[in-house]
Amino acid sequence: MHKRYETSAEPSTLWSAWLQAMATIGRDKGVLLLLVAAPVLYGFFYPWFYADEVLTRVPVAVVDMDRSSLSRQITRFAEANPRIEVRLVTASEREAQEALWRGEVEGYALIPPNLKRSAVRGEEASVRVEGNGAYALLNKAVQYGFAEAVGTVSAGIEIRKLQAAGQSAQQAAASRNPVQLQMVALFNPTEGYGSFVVPAVALLILQQTLLMGAAMLTGTWVEAGRHRARARTWLGRLLALCTLGWASGLFYFGWIFVLHDYPRGGNPLGALALLACYVPAIAALGALIGLWVGNRERALQVLLFTTLPIAFMAGFSWPVEALPEPLQWLRWLLPSTSGVQASLRLNQLGAPLAAALPQLCALVALCAACTVALLAWARPGPGQPG
Amino acid sequence: MNPLVHSFRREARRLLASPWDLAMVTWVPLLAVLLMGWIFSAGLPRHLPVGVLDDDHSALSRQVVRMLDATPGLQVVQHYANSAEAERALRSVEVYAVVTLPRDFARTVKEGRTAQVTLLHNAQLGTHSGVLQRDVRAVVGTLSAGIEMAARNKRGEPARAVRVSIEPIHTQLVALFNVSTNYEQFLGAALIPALLHILAMTAGAWAVGRELRDRTLGEWLGAGGGVLRTGSALVGKLALPWASITLVALLALTGITWGRGWHPPGNLAWVAAGLALLMAVSVAAGAALAGITRSLRTALSGAGFFAAPAFAFSGVAFPLAGMPASARAWAEAMPYTHYIRLQIEQLQMGAPLRTSVSTVVALMAATAVLLLACTLALQVARRKPESWGGR
Repeated sequence: MHKRYETSAEPSTLWSAWLQAMATIGRDKGVLLLLVAAPVLYGFFYPWFYADEVLTRVPVAVVDMDRSSLSRQITRFAEANPRIEVRLVTASEREAQEALWRGEVEGYALIPPNLKRSAVRGEEASVRVEGNGAYALLNKAVQYGFAEAVGTVSAGIEIRKLQAAGQSAQQAAASRNPVQLQMVALFNPTEGYGSFVVPAVALLILQQTLLMGAAMLTGTWVEAGRHRARARTWLGRLLALCTLGWASGLFYFGWIFVLHDYPRGGNPLGALALLACYVPAIAALGALIGLWVGNRERALQVLLFTTLPIAFMAGFSWPVEALPEPLQWLRWLLPSTSGVQASLRLNQLGAPLAAALPQLCALVALCAACTVALLAWARPGPGQPG
Repeated sequence: MNPLVHSFRREARRLLASPWDLAMVTWVPLLAVLLMGWIFSAGLPRHLPVGVLDDDHSALSRQVVRMLDATPGLQVVQHYANSAEAERALRSVEVYAVVTLPRDFARTVKEGRTAQVTLLHNAQLGTHSGVLQRDVRAVVGTLSAGIEMAARNKRGEPARAVRVSIEPIHTQLVALFNVSTNYEQFLGAALIPALLHILAMTAGAWAVGRELRDRTLGEWLGAGGGVLRTGSALVGKLALPWASITLVALLALTGITWGRGWHPPGNLAWVAAGLALLMAVSVAAGAALAGITRSLRTALSGAGFFAAPAFAFSGVAFPLAGMPASARAWAEAMPYTHYIRLQIEQLQMGAPLRTSVSTVVALMAATAVLLLACTLALQVARRKPESWGGR
């Protein structure tokens, strides 16, 4: 009886199947929240934390045990350095350590007693810079900040010595540093943290919200026995999910990236091709998960925690080369792996479509496999319970 | 029967009857933790692919390439004939960086002028480019010092004096607390509690939310009874999921420290206490979301909203000090932010115990407040059976 009702209610065209699915989504607050509200909310929420992008004026301490004109010069150069802000000048390392533990400073430079005397006599003199290695970005700012300050003072001393030995200022500078390294940050010139993380996370947000929405919707259909349907009905349902997924995708690529001034727009047509492949793969995978869990809320319960491991397998915040070999292969079963990598190439780096072709092919293959599995599993076959 | 014991037994029966529910508080968390540990098991990124654009083709430039290749963090995989090729490789992420050596590199050095090596790195991949910048800087520094030392030796200056006069004041850079910059200890150790934080909040929301969805709230809480009775029933219900996930958390903590031969400087027992409390706060927060919204589905969405990005905003990856004040206030309202500070203080910084006491007290207080909020919400919900069953 149930089955008869189902078959008679099935739409006769793809268009009406799409309309019917859109109407179902529109009446479902839970699915709407995931497919419409969540992407919009996260588009503003996530970048909020990284709005300042680059870390400046990290609080530090100077432990000055020398109290000479040279040590005061180092302190002054440290104060002038934009990376760090000297919050405490003390003669006791203990005091600096306490401040570090309390989180008031993130590192300190230790100027030993007799620094000036050693430097003047040409004996080894060293300033120890201790950064908080538990926090990578803070540590980098503290170490580079102090290294620049001490290096400037040190170079001044050496160049004066070389000049005293009869070299010109220019010669002296060259002989101090025969090979120089110039580092050029491509694609993200300020090396901003938000610019690096948010464009990649955007693809994860798209995936996780659509995956959960599709799985929740399908789980609800399973509960109502409406999951067994003809291929046309299912294609209409997937297209309806894709419609909202594409809208969110365009919202991120076209507006959120622009709003926050992230690196973008390298290859707009390529980015559209990416969305065309990425969104259907997620929708089909999500529907498949919903079919498997067969329960409206279960989809959320099972998928919520997956965001973290997925993020670190996508190859943007943790290099692929550092992943164990089996994971390097298994991660391709997730749409986000291809999506993040292709988006990086097409949106941020402006690579030609060919550079992202392997990823797009992986997405098409994943989408095809999931769709076939979905249609086979949800087929309204004779003898199967409806 | 004591409402706490009654509720505890009821929850135990319910978990045993549902393989899905049991899985989500036992082997799924365990597997998730193992996966997370596996992702970071290499500890340090190695052999990141790098290209070279050598316009000099001299013995010195080849020496630079050999030195680069000998650095464990990177490997030279491509050589380019011109900058267009290099750019194409960078754009399609065949390599993460390109080192360019200009024409006349060796001659410039020989003539005593400053020669320049350029590192073009893909800053859109922050971790990768950070590792590469550090390694290439070290290689060039070594090369430069070697050349200068050789030049001065040739001029007849004694070796020791040379070393001192190259750098009158030497800067000794020490990364306190994470000496090898091991990512397993830095990221892996921070991500595992973050993962369990999400799972625990999900479990709390599920335990309470399911009673509402299935309209079994009356059956669970009984007909009458005050706040104390409801509170006891709530604690009895949450005890099992909490204990199970906490057990996984403690196993993970032991595994990633002692199990990997890492003996952290601080107090591991204190971290364990903090971790157990973080799980308690998470379970209680999930339960409170379910009690207040009276919808399992909304509570789960809420748990995802609060817990899933907790790591990203905790100050581990990007410091709290670099966030706008309003965003920082949000970050500091999240329990994970405080737990992870405690963990870093004890596992990495070896801070004295007193610096970490307030966190433990605050986590306890937060758990109590959330349990109370959930109890009061359940008291209200109990009197309105018509509001049960929301999806």
